[in-house]
Amino acid sequence: MSQESKWEPKLLGFLCKWCSYAGADLAGTSRKKYPANIRIVKIPCSGRIDPLFVAKALRMGFDGVLVSGCHPGDCHYQTGNYRARRRIAITKRLMEYMGIEPERLQASWVSASEGDKWAQVVTEVTKGVKEVGPNRLFDDDGHRKEAAGQS
Amino acid sequence: MTDTEKKLQDKAKELLEQGKVEHIIGYAAGSLKFTTTPLITKDKDDARQLVINPFIVNNLSVFLNDIKGKIGIVAKPCDARSIVSLLQDQQVARENLVILGLPCQGLIDLRKVERLTGKDRDDIDDITRNGDKVTVTTGGKTQKFAAKEVIFDDCLSCETPTPPEYDFLFGEPSSATDKELGRKNIKELEAMSPQQRWDFWKQEFSRCIRCYACRQVCPACFCTRCFIEETEPQWLSPLPRWQDNLLFQTTRMLHVAGRCTDCGECERVCPVNIPLRSISKKVEEIVDELFQYKAGMDKNAERFMTAYEPSEAEDLMR
Repeated sequence: MSQESKWEPKLLGFLCKWCSYAGADLAGTSRKKYPANIRIVKIPCSGRIDPLFVAKALRMGFDGVLVSGCHPGDCHYQTGNYRARRRIAITKRLMEYMGIEPERLQASWVSASEGDKWAQVVTEVTKGVKEVGPNRLFDDDGHRKEAAGQS
Repeated sequence: MTDTEKKLQDKAKELLEQGKVEHIIGYAAGSLKFTTTPLITKDKDDARQLVINPFIVNNLSVFLNDIKGKIGIVAKPCDARSIVSLLQDQQVARENLVILGLPCQGLIDLRKVERLTGKDRDDIDDITRNGDKVTVTTGGKTQKFAAKEVIFDDCLSCETPTPPEYDFLFGEPSSATDKELGRKNIKELEAMSPQQRWDFWKQEFSRCIRCYACRQVCPACFCTRCFIEETEPQWLSPLPRWQDNLLFQTTRMLHVAGRCTDCGECERVCPVNIPLRSISKKVEEIVDELFQYKAGMDKNAERFMTAYEPSEAEDLMR
């Protein structure tokens, strides 16, 4: 039990270079506080996101994945974020169908000027994934509920 | 030989003779009972080997990418949808194709026949279809079944008894579909808890031997290099462990979303009988439900993966 309370989720963030990455940068330079649970991968556009990235991240043991890009209409490449949104939508639904908690995949629009929003998004997502619990999906010996007690 | 078969053979021969196509892709009788094999030929005399029967399971559009020049291809509705999908993706050019369309009544699943009659395929003498009835003859005795009982699940869910794209059509469309029966497996899975579903898929994918037959047979899987064979980075392990097997297949299914036409070939070729259609059909349903898109219906439609509506799916974004 004591071990469980110490558990902190590990998140992987895929951030578009034009908006969200700059937004996260702004959060940093503005000294905004947000949970240190997220590791960030810079991608050229949220449209670069592939369901494969999510699969790989979960397989590596990340507890959650956050994809973030420019607001609709703001994409540097015009349509990348719209395409990412379609992919994320179907990925989330299929995850649910396969038995993976869909909460493990989150998506947001954060612009380069939204340092505040970035801090808030990470806080919320961290809280959400914490509620879902550790990623035990690929443990060989099985049941997530039974395994939840061990770290 | 039926009249329709004769017409198809004559047309194929004519096309080859007149030089309108260089190759004909169709079905010939297989070496085993109740099977067919793909026939790819340049020879006009081979045209008489072409058959049409309820066992023409292969989706022949998978060969289009490998053959150069003008091609005459025999296509059932689901195969024709795959062709339309390839046209949308600019993998083949319409002017290089002569589509010999076959309306489809649903193909007969030999395993279902075996299960219902309790006989092995070697002991079954004849299977004939007449409208909604299928007559099975074993050792002089005949048994009649409703077509719905013996056709493939993907045929039960079929919404396109006529090919959406063709140059010539052979035969009359009719089909005995039952959508609810066709998605029975999906319904059972949906009724389970997420944990039960995960355990189910874990079990199924523990059997996977990574032969990649599902990918090779898929007309939508036309990438020259598949992510699963990439080594820098190595996305997923090539070892057949259930974890990577499951992620490989789910990722593959998501990659072909909006292009998969539910032809069911992946499930049919699986040597360890993983119910892959329960994933592909579900993806098809998700695509239709969220984005009102059906794969391979209109060659002029924008592709699912590049199309968008500015306001769609906004509820999932933070």
